[in-house]
Amino acid sequence: MYSLALRMAWASLARRPARSFLVVLMICVSLWGLLLMQGIYDGMTEQMIANAIRSDSGQLSLFGRGYRLDPSLDKLIGGKETENTREKFRNLLDSDPRVRSWVKRLRQNGLVATAHYSRNTEIYGVDLDREDRHGRLKSYLVQGEYDFGNRSKGAIIGFKLAEKLQVKIGKKIILSAQDINSDVTSIALRITGIFKTNNLGLDENALFIDLERARTFLGVEQGVSQISIMLHDDQQLASLQQDLQHALPNLDVLRWDELYPALMQSRVMMKGFSLVISIMIFGVAGLGIFGVMLVSVLERMREFGIMLAIGTAFSQVRIIILAEALFMGLTGLLAGMVCGGLSLVYFKIYGLDLTMFSEAFEEFGMDAITYAIIRPDYFVTAFVAVVLATFVSVYFPLRLLRRAKPVEIINAV
Amino acid sequence: MLLLPQIIYAENANDIIEKVVDNLNGKTAIMEISMVVKTSRAERTMKMKSYSIGQEKSFIKILYPKKDEGITFLKLDNSMWQYVPRIEKTIKIPASMMLQSWMGSDFSNDDLVKESSLSDDYDHALIAETEDDYNLELHPKADAAVVWGKILMSVSKQYYLPVTVSYFDEDGVLIRELLYTDVKAYGKRFYPSRWVMTPKTADKKGHETRIIVSDVIFDMEVDENYFTKRALKRFSR
Amino acid sequence: MLIQLAIRNVLAYRKHSVITFLLGAVSTALLVFSSAWNDGSHQQMIKNAVEIYSGYIQITGAEFRKSPSFEHLLFNVEKLQKDVEAVAGVDLFSPRFDSFVLYSVGEKAVGGMLTGIDPEKERRISRLYSSLKEGRYLSKTDTNQLYIGNELARRLKLQVGDELAFVGSGADYSFAADKLIVKGIFQTGLFEFDATSAFLAKPYFDMIMAAENLATHGIVLPHDTQQADIVAKNIGRKIGAEFQSASWMETMAPLVKSMKLDSVFGYITLGIIFIVIFFVIMIYTLLAVFARIREIGIMRAVGTTPRQILGILLLESSILGFISVVAGGLIGAVFAYYFNVHPMVFSGMEEQFKQYGLAVSAMPTAFEPFTILRDMLVMFVLLLLSTLYPIIKVNRYQPIEAMHHV
Repeated sequence: MYSLALRMAWASLARRPARSFLVVLMICVSLWGLLLMQGIYDGMTEQMIANAIRSDSGQLSLFGRGYRLDPSLDKLIGGKETENTREKFRNLLDSDPRVRSWVKRLRQNGLVATAHYSRNTEIYGVDLDREDRHGRLKSYLVQGEYDFGNRSKGAIIGFKLAEKLQVKIGKKIILSAQDINSDVTSIALRITGIFKTNNLGLDENALFIDLERARTFLGVEQGVSQISIMLHDDQQLASLQQDLQHALPNLDVLRWDELYPALMQSRVMMKGFSLVISIMIFGVAGLGIFGVMLVSVLERMREFGIMLAIGTAFSQVRIIILAEALFMGLTGLLAGMVCGGLSLVYFKIYGLDLTMFSEAFEEFGMDAITYAIIRPDYFVTAFVAVVLATFVSVYFPLRLLRRAKPVEIINAV
Repeated sequence: MLLLPQIIYAENANDIIEKVVDNLNGKTAIMEISMVVKTSRAERTMKMKSYSIGQEKSFIKILYPKKDEGITFLKLDNSMWQYVPRIEKTIKIPASMMLQSWMGSDFSNDDLVKESSLSDDYDHALIAETEDDYNLELHPKADAAVVWGKILMSVSKQYYLPVTVSYFDEDGVLIRELLYTDVKAYGKRFYPSRWVMTPKTADKKGHETRIIVSDVIFDMEVDENYFTKRALKRFSR
Repeated sequence: MLIQLAIRNVLAYRKHSVITFLLGAVSTALLVFSSAWNDGSHQQMIKNAVEIYSGYIQITGAEFRKSPSFEHLLFNVEKLQKDVEAVAGVDLFSPRFDSFVLYSVGEKAVGGMLTGIDPEKERRISRLYSSLKEGRYLSKTDTNQLYIGNELARRLKLQVGDELAFVGSGADYSFAADKLIVKGIFQTGLFEFDATSAFLAKPYFDMIMAAENLATHGIVLPHDTQQADIVAKNIGRKIGAEFQSASWMETMAPLVKSMKLDSVFGYITLGIIFIVIFFVIMIYTLLAVFARIREIGIMRAVGTTPRQILGILLLESSILGFISVVAGGLIGAVFAYYFNVHPMVFSGMEEQFKQYGLAVSAMPTAFEPFTILRDMLVMFVLLLLSTLYPIIKVNRYQPIEAMHHV
């Protein structure tokens, strides 16, 4: 009996191919556009967030209390603790199953100079191998090598800083800074690498040197300025933060979104924006289905009148009409999902070069190439929205049919 | 075999530099100098007195112009402090200011602090010899924290004092030139009484700093009290 | 004749007309308002950034922007002032002298900018005066009274009335130092600016920094800020190659670019919505013309040419399109105007704005009749295009076919 309903629905659609095709095409194209937009915009936001997390904050960052307000070498993590305490601290991080990796960084303000120029810089003493495993730092390298070279005399610097200093790979720079006794100390380094993270603060200011080199340079025997932590599972972020803060009351334990509030806000805004756009698109698309269904029902009032008059149950008629609407809705949905999904997969793998729209991208901390994100919930939302729009769009025609008296309809024309 | 002459030269060059550095500093020195800073627009004269022991410690007091009178500087090893009577404050020159100009001249704070580095931070080679001068080429040692790519220096054979010092960047571009002239006898030592520093970069066109030494007393006992932070304020008056 | 027929048809097929009208009107209103919002928020962001401190037109020495040293100052400010103010469209000219100094309180020393300004003129060319947070603003006769950014004051732990010292160098490269008293604290909301800037009245500044008749740059306020670019060019011609006169479009080029970028995203999004609307209108038109296919068949049978039918149908959709575009345009314009007068306030978005270097979160929409007309025209063309396919399709039927069409 359902097969009859389905056949009737199909026949009705096939009778008006242009109209049915337009509806399917409309749903398909709007869904395609929507999916692409969501995937690309989300990709863009998440890429900015990922850049900040990978290059700097981790998902969690630990700082000495008060370091962020007054970043100085006497507010280090583990700067004054005994070896025993620091061992315990390391174990705490190593043994926590939620922690995927963690890295230590020793930071200090300094001045980097060539014979021509000098610039303020933020020195990061880092362990390159660990940083790469931690946040794939190596992938940000745009020139030179991911290596501090022979005897760790190399420096890897942000591309904007390199531009300002007008230095290239292999050039010598002199780095000066206040050491732990607040004496001025200087060191000669060679540029071994230039990186571009699109985390603007880093690209403009940061200079990475070897952690041990930084220790001897700044006279810091123990302790670090920042510990950046990555988790296996994003969901455990809040609980880890809480536990660490509890275990380490003398430190500031901060999530990435507390360090980069603007990024979190972009994510929230993007979500709200997507929602509004989705509602608008599905609303309009629903209107399209509604019009077609209304006309389709009105055209066949007589047909349905006869069916009802000869004893067909209303529920049966309802199924025919619903099936017709769903046929269109779901075909469009499927087509849209396939087109949208395939395009997203394409852009996820090959990326979308947005610089064709504007050269300004890179100046604002966005990657030139955006890789789309595919989330299952795009498709779930689309499915629910299309089905909902379909049901809503047949509600009124059905009510019209139900209110009408079969005899009147049959005699109407 | 081919390397041999160079090694001999290098030894000679080292000796020359040692002598030059010693001649420029003495065991101790008390100097009175005036400094003329010329820019494309104007010329300013300053007078000051300096006390120093070797290359490590020095104390400078500004005597003229009136508005800067009493400003004192203390240099100990790699650090530098400044006392300014107008604001009654001693300021430690931070790392970020080391490359800034010293009192508006074409010398930087760093030049004052690092004057010792000519002998320690460079490898020296004698590249030519004329009737009057040795021509030396100085290359910074691998670990030396100096911005220059190379320094060319000509040294007078007669006095073992520098005549010209040219500073180049890593690509061999001349950045600035320092001339020492008018050698005079002060006690048992000879000393250039006129130094002229000329920056060669486009942004410093028309700039020049002249130092004229009016008096030097070498190798006399200098009060160690000058080389403490307290002295900055105490000897400011 | 055709027009009357078309109007009659529009009125006769009321349901279709109403739906097409509504769709057209709503989309037009949406487009008009979105453009107004986009343009308005961008203009506001730029306006904020320009008006807070950097000014509509900046005059510097020719080389200053490339290499900002005391070599490339404005050397005869008094003459320059006369020259600039003689240019048509210039309201006033105000010189500033920026210098990098070291501020010091107790043991703490922080680098920052110290700038000499004309307090009276500055009131009109920037928002320094209205950004007063505590204490008082500067006056022309002030001596060592400092007007300092909130974040800088916090870093140095300073309150109104506290004393601090600075060392720096004067315009003649001579050594400069003085004790200063905090007279007022300002907060523009631009974090970087508030964390590095402080101001002195220029007469006193000139004395201690040897900056008499000198300036690092001058700000020009044009009578009409829309004309800034033209006025800047005129000034440039008048004062010659020794100087550079640049409007905010040059000095704020990165911001202008970022706003363009934002517009690109806005229009891409609108584009997707319009594709859907386009389809819906097409579907409705298809439904409507096919509902009339018998009538069209009969018309053909009694001798109406396909051209005439095409004409009538196109006229119908033009009339409908026109009415809906006008109505939608009006609705959009009303909203654009309302929110132009009563800006929307987004208190939660401040962080995001700060990242752009912007401080204010109230966003008025733009109300520009030309843009509204442009959008209405775009929508009209779009509406016509969307009815084209159904109209042509229905016209392909032979009269008999059409009459028997079920």
